[in-house]
Amino acid sequence: MSSKSDTLLFLSRPFLTKKQILKAQSNNIQDHRAYNQKKLAIIKFLSDICVQLRFPRKTLEAALYFYQRFYLFNKFETELCYTIATSAILLSCKQVETIKKSNEICSISLRLRSVAKVTPEILDNFKKRVCQHELRLLEAISFDYRINNYVHIDEYVIKLGKELAFSQETCYLAWIIAYDVLKTEIILVVPQHTISLAVLKIAHELPNAKSTWPTIRYTTFESDEKSFSEAYFDLLNFYINSFDLCDLKDNMPSGLQSISIDTFIELKKRAGREYGLKNPTDKEVDTDLYLSTQYDTSNVRERRYVLSAKSINSEVASMNQKP
Amino acid sequence: MEYTKEKKVGEGTYAVVYLGTKQSTGRSIAVKEIKSSAFKDGLDMSAIREVKYLQEIQHENVIELVDIFLASENLNLVLEFLPSDLEVIIKDKSILFTPADIKSWMLMTLRGVHHCHRNFILHRDLKPNNLLIAPDGQIKVADFGLARTVPSPHEILTSNVVTRWYRAPELLFGAKHYTSAIDVWSVGVIFAELMLRIPYLPGKSDIDQVEVTFRALGTPTDRDWPDVSSFPAYNKLQMYTPPSREELRRRFIAASENALDYLCGMLTMNPQKRWNTVQCLESEYFKEAPSPTEPSKIKIS
Ligand SMILES: Nc1ncnc2c1ncn2[C@@H]1O[C@H](COP(=O)(O)OP(=O)(O)O)[C@@H](O)[C@H]1O
Ligand SMILES: [Mg+2]
Repeated sequence: MSSKSDTLLFLSRPFLTKKQILKAQSNNIQDHRAYNQKKLAIIKFLSDICVQLRFPRKTLEAALYFYQRFYLFNKFETELCYTIATSAILLSCKQVETIKKSNEICSISLRLRSVAKVTPEILDNFKKRVCQHELRLLEAISFDYRINNYVHIDEYVIKLGKELAFSQETCYLAWIIAYDVLKTEIILVVPQHTISLAVLKIAHELPNAKSTWPTIRYTTFESDEKSFSEAYFDLLNFYINSFDLCDLKDNMPSGLQSISIDTFIELKKRAGREYGLKNPTDKEVDTDLYLSTQYDTSNVRERRYVLSAKSINSEVASMNQKP
Repeated sequence: MEYTKEKKVGEGTYAVVYLGTKQSTGRSIAVKEIKSSAFKDGLDMSAIREVKYLQEIQHENVIELVDIFLASENLNLVLEFLPSDLEVIIKDKSILFTPADIKSWMLMTLRGVHHCHRNFILHRDLKPNNLLIAPDGQIKVADFGLARTVPSPHEILTSNVVTRWYRAPELLFGAKHYTSAIDVWSVGVIFAELMLRIPYLPGKSDIDQVEVTFRALGTPTDRDWPDVSSFPAYNKLQMYTPPSREELRRRFIAASENALDYLCGMLTMNPQKRWNTVQCLESEYFKEAPSPTEPSKIKIS
């Protein structure tokens, strides 16, 4: 990963397999249960900020991507996670152009956590800490803005739903399911438009398990079958294993009240053998330096972030040419 | 270290720009170091935009973002090094350039801008100072600090964009919705400036800009721009009649009839009727003689 002793070079890897994610988290998260519980609290917290500041879903989605990427490379400590979450939403506002002053975001963040009296001094200190972490978040995504830029799950659910000629009801149901997606880690694994397709499939099948999913050439949607299947099964498993945690059950559109955990179990049965992205071997994961990088790089003078392997290769080539 | 900073070459609102070298290849590059004072509201939006849009665009006439690095907690953008810009050239009266040179610069600029628009990106700050020139003569659209994606129709936008002299009339009216047509207007003003070698619409203040713009080009009316009179600022306007063809000929002495058509297409008041980049690129102006100078043959020093 490092080309010279005083330079670290990072190639952007915006998506990782589940196994790679677990490996990265294992360096930073001691108590996975605590992390998962906190994540649910954070989703609630960020959702509240979004409601108060009237941010669209995409702002929330991008913020949660940043938040979860952060804890792939930084130690998880419960005290700090609300600060990180606030940084994440500050950054996502800029990313998706729903700009708000940091003051406003920070003071709502403090109020939501019932800080009794938000003095200018408290606010200022908090703001400083929030801003400090913005760069750390950007490091965790290797400054790769190509993700969370144009494609957002909720918007693509509607767009692709129309393209596939699904009814408005199906699209609406999909839009509700798309919120539950954020409780899984699938946005770290496959691109958003693929998730949207998987969400649509579930929304299409839920009211009637016998309804057939149109034969789609996934490549026409810039996607592939394995990624799609990964997202589809991940979501089914979420509903089957954590139905209590879903928002869908409390927001079921009229006429669909009969949907229960059993509906999902039935769907999974019909779906056949579970498959998805190929995970690397244990050895590959263990030797993958990217997954064990701690961002405690204070002794490194220069940290570079590159998007394509091509530019690295051409650099290496030109170095080799030199006498 | 892969990158060195050798000499300060420019300073903007949120960044200092240095000339440097990429060690592994010996290539000259520009390092744009984001000022840490720009972190008051967290990382400056301009820096975010610049990275976000340049990562997306790769085109011969758009500046290349080579790399991003952090050094002692400062964010640095590595850009291709571009030793000159159109503003410097326009101002340097010792440089003589021909109508064919202007045509070449226009063509390159439009290609870059067209590529942005095709990728749903508005630049929103086109001016001679942001059109940089590579050693091989290529124009590179630069400074994406104000850029944004083409907004959906219901999105509310700030009209406080584009450096004053290059601001389209819809922006002068404070429109909350606008389109890529604002960039074409700026290109039109730049074209005029290249021919005149002085700024074409140099307003001294935002209010004066309105005055200067309409005095030169006529105050728009509902007839050619439906509902323009419903902008709040409209009823305070002085009404000027648009210049006649003869007046334009006298103002732009060296311009051919096709060049004037092309100019007027870009400087059309009504943004819906204003030419888009495709119309500009396909205009007769680019087809007639003289043909655009080969970029590497334009003498600028
Ligand atoms: N790639 C580059 N090569 C050489 N000089 C540059 C480059 N980029 C910027 N500069 C110089 O730095 C100045 C400020 O950079 P710019 O990107 O326009 O920032 P700002 O958004 O603050 O205007 C420019 O006017 C130019 O003189
Ligand atoms: Mg500039």
